[in-house]
Amino acid sequence: MTLPTSERLHLNLAGIQMRNPVMTASGTFGYGSEYADFVDLNKLGAVVVKGITSVPWPGNPMQRIAETPSGMLNAIGLQNVGVDGFIEQKLPYLCDYDVPVIANVCGKQEAEYIEVVDKLSATNGIAGIELNVSCPNLNCGGMSFGVDPQLTFQLVARVRKATSLPILVKLSPNVTDITEIAVAAADAGADALSMINTLLGMGIDIKTRRSLLANVTGGLSGPAIKPVALRMVWQVYNTVEIPIVGMGGIMNGNDALEFIIAGASAVAVGTANFINPGVSMEIIQGIDAYLADQQIRSISDLVGSLET
Amino acid sequence: MKKHNLKTTILSNRQVAEDHYLLYCDCPEVAISAQPGQFIHVLFDQGSGLLLRRPFTIYSVEGTQISMLYQVVGEGTSILSRMCAGDSLQVLGPLGNSFTIDESLDLAVVLGGGAGIASLMLLISALQKRKIRTDVLVGAMNQARLLSIADLQKIGIQPQIATDNGSTGHHGFVTELLLTTLAQQKAQLPTVFTCGPYGMLKAVTEICQQFNMPCQVAMENRMGCALGVCLGCVCKVRLEGGGQDQSGDLLFEYQRVCTEGPVFLGQQIIWD
Repeated sequence: MTLPTSERLHLNLAGIQMRNPVMTASGTFGYGSEYADFVDLNKLGAVVVKGITSVPWPGNPMQRIAETPSGMLNAIGLQNVGVDGFIEQKLPYLCDYDVPVIANVCGKQEAEYIEVVDKLSATNGIAGIELNVSCPNLNCGGMSFGVDPQLTFQLVARVRKATSLPILVKLSPNVTDITEIAVAAADAGADALSMINTLLGMGIDIKTRRSLLANVTGGLSGPAIKPVALRMVWQVYNTVEIPIVGMGGIMNGNDALEFIIAGASAVAVGTANFINPGVSMEIIQGIDAYLADQQIRSISDLVGSLET
Repeated sequence: MKKHNLKTTILSNRQVAEDHYLLYCDCPEVAISAQPGQFIHVLFDQGSGLLLRRPFTIYSVEGTQISMLYQVVGEGTSILSRMCAGDSLQVLGPLGNSFTIDESLDLAVVLGGGAGIASLMLLISALQKRKIRTDVLVGAMNQARLLSIADLQKIGIQPQIATDNGSTGHHGFVTELLLTTLAQQKAQLPTVFTCGPYGMLKAVTEICQQFNMPCQVAMENRMGCALGVCLGCVCKVRLEGGGQDQSGDLLFEYQRVCTEGPVFLGQQIIWD
């Protein structure tokens, strides 16, 4: 596949130079190598890796996923190799490519976030930190930070002191007013916002009267959540100055363009990777074709261009 | 091994038993490298509101064609069963590891329960090619759901049959046939290869442990990506070297059926 390298797609996201605005959403692209048969990593805007914790986490029991109308529920529980495993086993592969690597970081307590951020900051090959304050599948930590403006502020401020890497804060949609959390993150020194994480949901098997997930509740992703995500990107774009990475049900180039028009400077592709492993390449092409067709000189001219 | 994501068309899709269908499609890239136990991840009928692909084991490889033998178990397979020759499919594969046939193997027992026999047909052919003596045991709920008997006979295999209701073959579970077969082979213990319902795989593993025989099981799970990233299809696998935690539970890790599997040593799995 010939992919555009045109300058009109280039951007600088919070200090991260990207050749286009298409990133992979954390937890949907592994550590890059899993998609090597379908995606040229050198053609992506950035790779956001699976959430990383201070020590390896085993994850939740089965069942962990279920399909819902135009969506998918998951309660994986952040199974991951831990920060040392990531640095030793996973990062070297990505470092062979010319693509910014953004490390998604999660923890149960503030100290765990700091420990992971410290180790990543001391490592070559990390372009930015995505602070996951919004994982819905943990008993403590994760989303509990991201639904409280004060806790969000404290955590982001602590991480801000710990690293000079760009910080993206990944917001939870499971709040009454997402702009409050966005403001808290921005005030505490976040460089960008990733939004949105999954919506808390559930499904029930009426024959067994059991939840479709062992964890009972899980995070809803896929096209079903796109209208909610778009609305939230639009609200936050009108509230804070820092750039937004828009995500939530992006399946094709047109979906990505909707997010950009709503105010996202870049987009992340998540669940769609499971359905079409090469979809990120198609989305880059779709965005470039639109810019060419609309005679738009730079992707930045399209950001937040919603007519109201 | 390179994985492919291909658009293909259905060549045929016909009912072969109650609630079971056999679908052929032309898939040269998958056909050329498919190994026994491997699977494909299939996307179909995107207009229906179904989002995810569905995993299916590769039942046969004939030239450039592959087939899948599947049971209608939910909305997705119900839609698939109504698709016709000429309809298009998106096929991702071949995926997963495969059964291992040791150089020294000279006796095999292959045991399939329900649609589990679908995961074992390529293996049975491979064992035959290697001229390894192979006993095949096939179990089903009843005669109407019995699968693959004609296909097995075509390659010269006379399977032993068990049905839960006794409508044909042994009246009872296929695991009972396994015990009988093993009792007759005291001199030489075989390797057991199996696929089927979870409870049956657990029972087969327990029997193999009693007889101290190796047992390879093909696990089946709901899957998201089938490429090892979503971690939705895991099973509990004992840590190498064993051990227990402070509360006496076996140390384990969740391994991906799509990547570390679908074939595991039965004894490695922690069966809940």
